[in-house]
Amino acid sequence: MKRVVLILFAIAIIPIVSFAQTSSDTCANANNATPISGPGVFNISDVNGTAPSTICSGGTSVAQNGEWYRYIPSANYFVTVSSNLSQNSGKDTRVQIYSGSCGSLQCVAGNDDVGGSNFLSSTTFSAQAGETYYIAWDNYWNPSSPFGFDFELSETIIPPTVSFTTATISAPGIDRGAVDMNGDSLDDIVSITSSIITVNYQQTNGTFNKVSHSLTGGIYTAGWSMAAGDFDRNGYNDLVYGNSDGAHVVKAKAGGNGYEIAATSHSIFTQRTNFVDFDNDGNLDVFLCDDTAPNEYFINNGSTLTLWEGDDPGAPIAGGLGVYSSGGNYGSVWVDYDSDGDADLFIAKCGGLEERRKNQLFRNNGNLSFTEVSIAANMNDPLSTWSSAWGDYDSDGDMDCFVGSSLTLEPHKLMQNNNGVFADVTASSGLDVFTDKGHENQPFDFNNDGYIDIYSNGNILINDGDGTFTILSSGIPQEGAVGDLNNDGFLDVFNGLIYYNDGNSNNWLKVCLTGTNSNINGIGARIEVSSPSFNNSSSKKAQIRDVRSAEGFAYMSSLNSHFGLGTDTSINTVTVYWPSGTVDVVVNPSINDTLCITEGETLSLESTLENDLILYPNPTKGLLNLNANYGFENAIFSVFDITGKRVLNDRFNSNTIDVSELSSGNYILRVINNGVIKTQKFIKQ
Amino acid sequence: MFKTYTYKSLALIFALVLIASCTKDDGYTDIEAPKISPVTLDLSTVPYETLSEYNFFEGNMADLNPVYGVLPYKIISSLFIDYANAKTFVWMPKDSTAIYVNDYSVLDFPTGSVLVTTHYFENVLPDNTAKMIETRLLIKKESEWIMANYKWNEQQTEATYTTEGSFVNVDLLHDNTEKNVTYKIPNYSECFTCHNKSDVIEPIGTKPQNLNSKLMFNDGLKNQLKKWVEFGYLEDNLPANIVSVVDWQDESQPLDLRVRSYFDINCAHCHSNDGYCNYASMRFEFNKTADISNLGVCVESVFYINPTISHVVKPGVLERSALYFRMNSTEDQYKMPIIGRVQKHDEGLTLIEEWINSLSTDCN
Repeated sequence: MKRVVLILFAIAIIPIVSFAQTSSDTCANANNATPISGPGVFNISDVNGTAPSTICSGGTSVAQNGEWYRYIPSANYFVTVSSNLSQNSGKDTRVQIYSGSCGSLQCVAGNDDVGGSNFLSSTTFSAQAGETYYIAWDNYWNPSSPFGFDFELSETIIPPTVSFTTATISAPGIDRGAVDMNGDSLDDIVSITSSIITVNYQQTNGTFNKVSHSLTGGIYTAGWSMAAGDFDRNGYNDLVYGNSDGAHVVKAKAGGNGYEIAATSHSIFTQRTNFVDFDNDGNLDVFLCDDTAPNEYFINNGSTLTLWEGDDPGAPIAGGLGVYSSGGNYGSVWVDYDSDGDADLFIAKCGGLEERRKNQLFRNNGNLSFTEVSIAANMNDPLSTWSSAWGDYDSDGDMDCFVGSSLTLEPHKLMQNNNGVFADVTASSGLDVFTDKGHENQPFDFNNDGYIDIYSNGNILINDGDGTFTILSSGIPQEGAVGDLNNDGFLDVFNGLIYYNDGNSNNWLKVCLTGTNSNINGIGARIEVSSPSFNNSSSKKAQIRDVRSAEGFAYMSSLNSHFGLGTDTSINTVTVYWPSGTVDVVVNPSINDTLCITEGETLSLESTLENDLILYPNPTKGLLNLNANYGFENAIFSVFDITGKRVLNDRFNSNTIDVSELSSGNYILRVINNGVIKTQKFIKQ
Repeated sequence: MFKTYTYKSLALIFALVLIASCTKDDGYTDIEAPKISPVTLDLSTVPYETLSEYNFFEGNMADLNPVYGVLPYKIISSLFIDYANAKTFVWMPKDSTAIYVNDYSVLDFPTGSVLVTTHYFENVLPDNTAKMIETRLLIKKESEWIMANYKWNEQQTEATYTTEGSFVNVDLLHDNTEKNVTYKIPNYSECFTCHNKSDVIEPIGTKPQNLNSKLMFNDGLKNQLKKWVEFGYLEDNLPANIVSVVDWQDESQPLDLRVRSYFDINCAHCHSNDGYCNYASMRFEFNKTADISNLGVCVESVFYINPTISHVVKPGVLERSALYFRMNSTEDQYKMPIIGRVQKHDEGLTLIEEWINSLSTDCN
């Protein structure tokens, strides 16, 4: 407490003083000069020394000249170094912050521009007492001498809601993935050229082992997007990626020793790609958005991938999945919007006529049947969007949607899910004032407070948990793949650099899945985490995630499901609703850990064969009625055949189930209601 | 439903032969017989399987010698097509004329019109020969244009209809230096993307502003629009003054006009109100770019590229200008134009570099 008072006092008086501490022309000279040891405003009269050559502010371009300072904090602080001062108005600066020694500088932070038309610089980093930091300004944008300006260094012990520390990594090609590729549950880093797939494998000690896998016959890059999933179930993730000329499905060889092309589409202007088992046969299929034509997909029958476009004659999905003749398909995400246990499809659309750019929502009816429901769901907005971020933003147990606008003049939209019909709650959320636009919108809890945030184009929209959001713009990487790149339970970002989340004291859980009857990644599974503050008996429901490949527009973020727990120090249950229909429940797992669950390994939910659950007529030819004693309103039911395969899945909207499509035989009806499974047998004639 | 011009032509030939005979017999001054175009176009069966079936050219087809009725035209400011060259022709059925709409809109073409564009390379190594790559047709059916693309065979004797995209590798001499070019023949969707005006197919080049220049015809150097009028391909109601683009390569022209002309032909088909990329704020049509904010000058860049890019065009600062970055990139996710080029256009880049460096607008 005493320290806080002192600091506030210091901040109050010091910024007025322009410090006499002078800049040095080299890092070595800064080592011999008096270091900065506290907050203040410092003047650089001319940037005429040696330019820093390690760039932490993004990019690689080195300036002609630089000026150096050494800074040694007296205590642990969050430090902001900023030239964004009124006296510098109109100037264009760039700053790098390092730790280490002059001979071996390590990136800590850096900034080129505050943003927009403001070319001044500001960066915040977490500094440790007694450590030496180097602050290097350069004249990259003002090579003519003299170039002078002021900057301010300020210290605080109040942590920013989210902050990052940068680190360099060698990842040649297009930076796309932060996802586990070798099945050790640690997120790896993936970058792509047409002939080389580079994976930086995360090691248990936090370092990366870089392996360059050459790819024979690759002609398309990951220019527009990449997704990961293990479609051939060999334990190593495969990839799908593409550019405007075509797309490759690339398969990991046995043991993860290299990659080979498994399938190619030469006819697609690729946008978002996804792995998803949309026919629910346990084999991951592939979906590809087409910018200029109807969407394409590969059906995986367990041994081959077969390509279909739109509603090709003979295509297995009648009517296709987005068949507008000139396309306009940008960001597909497979989300269980109606919480009925299967993955539905939302497509963010953009460009051309209003009809072309109206977003689409396809409800998965099972058996490769889809119904486009965007009008009924109030989701067929024609706003120009390249991606959407789906999460339970209001903690009521279903998936809401942030539709990210890509157009300067069109606002973003936050859509609240009310039983499958969406209401525009942008204004009440406070996001109506959020105007940064772009391609990328992803749902992740960056501060581990249990309320899922929105990562949108250089901002984290912090979910305050009360229906409103706080826009966090300072020090946030512009966009990238999101994963836990140092296994500390806080989500990091990869794009060129690694941006390590500085974290906080909140607790967390990561869940990784291995499917047996379901696809091996568990893509499409719904995971529910119940903890003291978030459970279905409280106003904040249990937290939910869908396992998705992928989120946002271009990148492949972690396939581990990441949950912040806030100050909760225990977890009641983790429930996994697998795409196969299997339900696993893990009771009281450890917090601040990674929980890997293999399908079917747990006892599942409490399950009872209900004598009083009466189905009639039984046997039935078409309709199956349930006795009215059961209030199954909105409960999910599944029908399994005698081999245990799920053949039907939906929500009740009356006490009647239509089983006319089923072939004759014995079946089991299962109803999940309030966390309890009830089953009963019936016969289809 | 569709008229069959072959039959109509045959009937006309018969009638004209009769007329020609009469004039001769009467011993008057020898008037050249009005010719009949040998082009065969049956709107109910196009697109034909092969290019030769249309009969646009005579002699060795790869020489592109047009038959009677197939008029060459040349747009003033050329489109960059990966260092290929383009030869363009127009054909219309007998007694039909196009109509002038305004300086900057595509002429209103009559049913049965065909625009014939052939992309080919010159100075192809090892023998410095020409090589035909593809011939693109726009055919005006009753009320709508259709697109048909023909890929030339290796023997250069025939071109065959295709909707598929493919790559052609060519080594050529360009400005006396060897250049390897990967040329992409676009697939149907790509063709449509650039010719798409609110889901309706439209030509791009054949606007009065692009044709109001002189071209050497069989009968001498003539203004193209006047030649079209004279030939009966264009209604004679042209205004006295047509606001026209300039040849972007013509260094005697003002820089801003060259730049605006370059953007019009390379960028405006997508970046317009009815275009594929209508949601981005740029409007590159020549008649809209006197206002340089439509070229992105001082317009903040919406889509993230890298930390240094701030504006679409930041006056005087190439490195902060998304437009320059995109023209200078061959990476799929960045390059502009997004479709229609694989290579970087060095000469175009030089022009745009000069222009951005010449700008001094203060964006604040």
